[in-house]
Amino acid sequence: MKITEDGEPYGLITNIQKYTIHDGPGIRTEIFFKGCPLRCIWCSNPEGQSYEQQIGIYPSKCIGLSKCSLCINSCPRGTDTPIKTEDDRLLSLQEIPECKNCFRCAEECPSRAIMIWGKKMSVPELMKVILEDRNFYLKTGGGVTLSGGEVMLQWEFAALLLKACRDASIHTCVESSLYCPTEHMEKVYEATDLVITDIKHMDTERHKEYTGVGNELILKNIKRTAELKKPLVIRIPVVPDHNNSEKNIRATGEFIRDVLGNHVIQLQLIPFRKIGTEKYATLNLPYPMGDFSPPERSVWEKNLLRLTEIMKEYNIPAVAGSSQKMC
Amino acid sequence: MMESAIKREVKSTEPMAIEPFDKEWGVGVSGLTENTSPFPRINKILKWLKERDHTADHERAVIYTDGYFKKYTPYPQILKCALTLRDVLQNVSINIWPDELIVGEIAAPAKSAPVYPEFSIDWLCDEMVNAPLDQRRNDRYVISEETKKALFEIKDYWKGHTLEEHILSTLTEEELKGSHLEKGVNFFDLYVSAGAGHVCADYDKLLSIGFGGIRKQVEDQIHKVNTSDPDHLTKKEFYDAELIILDGVTSYISRYGHLAADMAEKETNPERKAELLRISSNCLQVAEGPARDFWEAIQLWHIATNMIIIETNGHSVTYGRFDQIFYPYYRRDIEKGTFNREFIQELIEMSFLKIHELCKIRNKTAIVFSSGTFMGGTALDVGGVDKDGNDATNDLSYMVLDAHAHTRIPNPWMGVRLHENSPWEFKVKTFNVIRIGTGEPKIFNDAAMIKALQNYDKPIEDARNYVGIGCVEPCVPGKTYGWHDSSSFNIAKVMQLAINGGRCIGCGSHCPRYSKCAGIGGRLGIDTGNLESFESFDQVMDSFDKQMEYWCNLMISQINKVDLAHQRLKPLPYLSLLIEDCIGKGKDVSAGGALYNHSGPQGVGIGTVADSLAAIKQLVFDEKKVDGKTLLNAIRANWQGHEPLYALVNSDRMHCYGNDDDYADDLARFVTATYCKHVEHRPTPHGGEYMPGVFSVSQNVMAGFYVAATPDGRKAGEPLSDCIGPVHTQMGSHDRNGPTAVAKSVAKLDHSRIGNGLILNWKFSPGAVSGETGRDSLISLMDIYFENNGMQSQFNIVGKEVLTDAQKNPDQYKDLLVRVAGYSAYFIELSEELQSDLIGRTELSFD
Ligand code: SF4
Ligand code: SF4
Repeated sequence: MKITEDGEPYGLITNIQKYTIHDGPGIRTEIFFKGCPLRCIWCSNPEGQSYEQQIGIYPSKCIGLSKCSLCINSCPRGTDTPIKTEDDRLLSLQEIPECKNCFRCAEECPSRAIMIWGKKMSVPELMKVILEDRNFYLKTGGGVTLSGGEVMLQWEFAALLLKACRDASIHTCVESSLYCPTEHMEKVYEATDLVITDIKHMDTERHKEYTGVGNELILKNIKRTAELKKPLVIRIPVVPDHNNSEKNIRATGEFIRDVLGNHVIQLQLIPFRKIGTEKYATLNLPYPMGDFSPPERSVWEKNLLRLTEIMKEYNIPAVAGSSQKMC
Repeated sequence: MMESAIKREVKSTEPMAIEPFDKEWGVGVSGLTENTSPFPRINKILKWLKERDHTADHERAVIYTDGYFKKYTPYPQILKCALTLRDVLQNVSINIWPDELIVGEIAAPAKSAPVYPEFSIDWLCDEMVNAPLDQRRNDRYVISEETKKALFEIKDYWKGHTLEEHILSTLTEEELKGSHLEKGVNFFDLYVSAGAGHVCADYDKLLSIGFGGIRKQVEDQIHKVNTSDPDHLTKKEFYDAELIILDGVTSYISRYGHLAADMAEKETNPERKAELLRISSNCLQVAEGPARDFWEAIQLWHIATNMIIIETNGHSVTYGRFDQIFYPYYRRDIEKGTFNREFIQELIEMSFLKIHELCKIRNKTAIVFSSGTFMGGTALDVGGVDKDGNDATNDLSYMVLDAHAHTRIPNPWMGVRLHENSPWEFKVKTFNVIRIGTGEPKIFNDAAMIKALQNYDKPIEDARNYVGIGCVEPCVPGKTYGWHDSSSFNIAKVMQLAINGGRCIGCGSHCPRYSKCAGIGGRLGIDTGNLESFESFDQVMDSFDKQMEYWCNLMISQINKVDLAHQRLKPLPYLSLLIEDCIGKGKDVSAGGALYNHSGPQGVGIGTVADSLAAIKQLVFDEKKVDGKTLLNAIRANWQGHEPLYALVNSDRMHCYGNDDDYADDLARFVTATYCKHVEHRPTPHGGEYMPGVFSVSQNVMAGFYVAATPDGRKAGEPLSDCIGPVHTQMGSHDRNGPTAVAKSVAKLDHSRIGNGLILNWKFSPGAVSGETGRDSLISLMDIYFENNGMQSQFNIVGKEVLTDAQKNPDQYKDLLVRVAGYSAYFIELSEELQSDLIGRTELSFD
């Protein structure tokens, strides 16, 4: 766990979103943890992948060098700055190692054309924000959802934060790939009321191809979660031509029925949406699904509903999308 | 969660409407469906109405001019007005349109606007020549040659006699300098060229005793007047006027009865024949007598309201608490089997169409900022508590909501009253209708509305019976003459004067006032200090307070003159029949006959001013990032040459109102409280007290035209923040923490002082409110907002892409209905300025 100079543990957080209504019951505040061991090709939050602060750039927000130049002027590397410009505008910024200890340009940029992904936040700082919407949780059975990135990568900090929530009687939910040592998971579960996880593919080779890792550890942890009787919601991010074959869906259904004993509150089939383009660009990263053209919405919806029906054959409480009540 | 699960059970097995309470009509599908009503008649008339052009009609104007200048010249003003109006009612042409079940017009055919020369006529004649109304981009009116000719003929009679000319002649140079005609601090033009409207008649009394019963009330009073009473003559003239009007009323309604009978005789279709006969007997009954069943009641309610419009030339003539007014009739008819629920549903939808056909011509400036409004302010409420505080929701509350889902037209302007014991089913239906995305209905919090009225000394029983006039203005129906909306006050302009020594930002010789103002060392306002020299933020607040006091005083003196002019020139003898206690007092409603009297000017730009003050506090005094002089120069230069500062004030580094951040929210409280302080409880000429409101409708766009750049990152001419909402500028929205933060920030303002009401506009993407999860979260969000004393909310649920596309391809979005401010309107009927303002509002989306 990382600790500040004053000995305060902190987490690296990409974003806090209030009034989240699809990741757990009721109205929730969702905390996005930074850093993830997987590299799913369909990931639409690439800013959550690296477990380090990073520079993100939005050249279209730059107000023009002739009017501003605060970034370049603040860069300690002078003419050797990694900030590249073109036509009076910010063009790109390929981070160099020195950037990590500097980020001065991002601090100076008035328009947030250069910004930092990832904020160091302590438990009390996060709790302050979380508690602001307490009445909303109480009214709706909502609470806090930790998500990412991968929560388990910062498992010690996550456990602290969850404990603080529980002490404040706030419902807690963890959304995780469960690709982590089982002991970490169990530690995090101590103050977790609900778990949301994915089954991305039942074939470990394909899983590896799409996410960078095999599925054995994940399936083992899901099984363990069921054994621990942790309330569990499973999602399948349904990506056309990748994991939407009937075979894979049936294999998933069998796993949930036979191995988990249908210990699942809800199984959600979530349609893939191509929304990552801009964010990958801000990080100077290629978008793996950039060339993918999703099928027509109507075709696609039908397909999703058909897969949902198949799941129901296994007596699994399956739904399409995430907007039906969990509990 | 247990608790909410219990709440979700359907408590009642009684029929609540013809549609199930949880019927969904889709999310964000405004304008995307046809034939939405289960009644073919309704769909048919709707289509007919949509195809008809808006027109103008001269008959009222001609008859009125004739009476006013030829027949009744020697009479005292109130009798002159009564006699001319009686002539209108007795002589104007009337029509019964195909398939109608409820009849009545506003002295002009369906979708045609009468003309009211007694207020002002020059502008209309001028536009007919120089800015033809049929060539307008929005709010088009086709005017026939015959009408044009007739209007030109009467025009000269009115020279020097209109209300408008009278008012302008009474205003001093000091009062004019900040008006809409000059520097735009205060827009009080609404009642200069039109009537005050904004009133809700005593429908309970009317339906139960009829006009005959009212006549008897008048006659009883006449005998009580003591001839040695100093008011004797005034009272006598008033009562005479009431009796004259009642003659007009009875003959007007009877004329429809006779027309229906004549048409029945010629009708060959037996079904229609029977309908016409029933229409005829309805009219003949309610011409004098009380309503005996639902059909007669809704007929009387409709035609009586039309006559208010014919007389007053006011908008926001409100239809009251529909479910409370009509429930006794509904219940009796269902119990006795007179009508079934389906037929009553059809009558309700029919009445909506009749309200939708009403219209009012506005001048070319007004329609830029207040476009697509048809008549405007045709408000009608359902739900809420009864006079004892118990839930009063009934079957009709549900049926009215279905009626909107079935008609999907912007009229009437619907309000749903909610309170802590509102049935869950009723909330579900309300939000399912809201999710269609037409912008209807708005929702009110009973607790906050009632508290605001109590703060203005209304007894609890009356406060509980409130209705939202027009947009939202809290009002005790049948007892109040509220002058709601008597002015729009540009708080942002005042803030600018407060930081610039009383001069406008950008003051210079290009200003038409220069030679009598700054050019000779003067200033528009008073010198309360300058941002270059303030030493502390307290001095800024103090300067703002003093500048506000100066301008609020001026506003009140302007409104008072307008008020007095209405009393002198335009007494309202017909309306006086329907507002308690005019008959008892023997006094016209315009002169203070009502039990409760008010004047409610609106403050505009709370968010803009709060964020501007927050920026000054943060950058100049707390962080000392820039000095006052630099910031002042930046806004003087409209941010040119100060781009980094412009980007900064629009960035998330700033404290902004709407983020549940006390730093800025406290300033929004301060701004609101300052406005209220200088306005509330001051006396009005018609015998009541001032009651401030905080909403702009769409005046924020208009007021913004008059305001140079502001420190919150707004450029010159951009709209001010709308109503009570957070700021959004060209650079983006200043509320960044989602809907819970907005709800909490807004609830921090002291709503109980805002007696004339406020509006909070929400914009959600369809994805954010779809599904059961989306619906229930939205309901809970509003529950909590209301528990924290929020007063009102209204919603747009249309994707930004849809709006942007509709702006480009209007032909494909003819029926797209959206919420503007106090009202919903067809998007393509809005001016470009308003369309862009709508697109710019923060869209809350989280999927
Ligand atoms: S600081 Fe930001 S806005 Fe200014 S020049 Fe650099 S990138 Fe552009
Ligand atoms: S002269 Fe200057 S202060 Fe006076 S009204 Fe014109 S711009 Fe405003």
